[in-house]
Amino acid sequence: MALRLLWASRVASHLRISVAQRGFASAVLKDLKYADSHEWVKIEGNKATFGITDHAQDHLGDVVYVELPELGHSVSQGKSFGAVESVKATSDINSPVSGTVVEVNKELTESPGLVNSSPYEQGWIVKVELSDAGEAEKLMDSDKYSKFCEEEDAKH
Amino acid sequence: MRSPRTLEVWRLGTVNYLKSLKIQDKLVSERKSHQIPDTLLSLEHPPTYTLGKRRTDHNLLIPQSQLTKIGAELHYTQRGGDITFHGPHQAILYPIISLRSIGFGARNYVETLERSMIEFASMYGVRARAGNKCETGVWVGDRKIGAIGVRISCGITCHGLAFNIDPDLNYFEHIVPCGIADKEVTSLRRETDALLPKEEVIHKQLITCFAKAFSYDDVVWKEDPSFILDTKDDG
Repeated sequence: MALRLLWASRVASHLRISVAQRGFASAVLKDLKYADSHEWVKIEGNKATFGITDHAQDHLGDVVYVELPELGHSVSQGKSFGAVESVKATSDINSPVSGTVVEVNKELTESPGLVNSSPYEQGWIVKVELSDAGEAEKLMDSDKYSKFCEEEDAKH
Repeated sequence: MRSPRTLEVWRLGTVNYLKSLKIQDKLVSERKSHQIPDTLLSLEHPPTYTLGKRRTDHNLLIPQSQLTKIGAELHYTQRGGDITFHGPHQAILYPIISLRSIGFGARNYVETLERSMIEFASMYGVRARAGNKCETGVWVGDRKIGAIGVRISCGITCHGLAFNIDPDLNYFEHIVPCGIADKEVTSLRRETDALLPKEEVIHKQLITCFAKAFSYDDVVWKEDPSFILDTKDDG
């Protein structure tokens, strides 16, 4: 837990941080886009890398398994493409963009915990070639996503 | 002020495992499209072994060909968790609920399922506890009394929990339950001196503990199980 807070505060020096209702800082990176199912995406030209957010990994608990898609698999915005398992729960992960899978993070097979310890960096899940760059418009920026997380956390 | 939350409860008696999966698929789809409120299925299964998404069938200790001899089926599922056994006198709850409407993630959800079972056990003077890390479930000392294995899709849950009232614990000898070796499985019958009422009463108590733990304002007890048991794609 201490290690995570240290990581979060390092990230904080470059980024905007949203403070959740309970005072726990869920890191939100400024240059990424976000889906309301708590996936982040980094778009570079016609390629995108995505994973799940810090908020998501915190709410999941310790990830013990990541189901990765096959290379060449088509993903669609908002549709499930894989799953993670934590605390005896499998949770579907949705793709924030549409495209074709060009790379998956094989490190996650041996070290699924990277999703928890480094959700935006070493815990990336999939890289795709985009089929519709315009879809990114439907996603949230960091400010909107931070607010979204606060509102969700306020529900309980 | 939040709007009141309603839970609809179906008590289904003994349901074949595959049939229960079909019912859940239908309800998950209806819950996603807001056709139904949060729904809870309360039931039992005939002797059935199930595996989770990781397909850890190395934890089945007898050949699959032997299963019919002991009167059991085996099913592979998409839920989390390892291998487990379901059978008569084990109370199962399958909540089909929206976690997004309460801002819950997997961890909060599972912890609340654990609390439901712990609260229920306490009604019989049994001091149960949540599992340690990597041992999700409900324990009495080092003996497992309640198991959890769930699936969350678009924020809607299915599968759920299984609490041992008085199942035939010999069936657990044929697996490494939940992938945890050297830990026993137990039951309410074994852990309490209290007289157990009729199972119908016990199931209702467990449901009530669930509804309380998840802060439902209203519980609607659905009276006609054939309404969802007679699904169109009967298998």
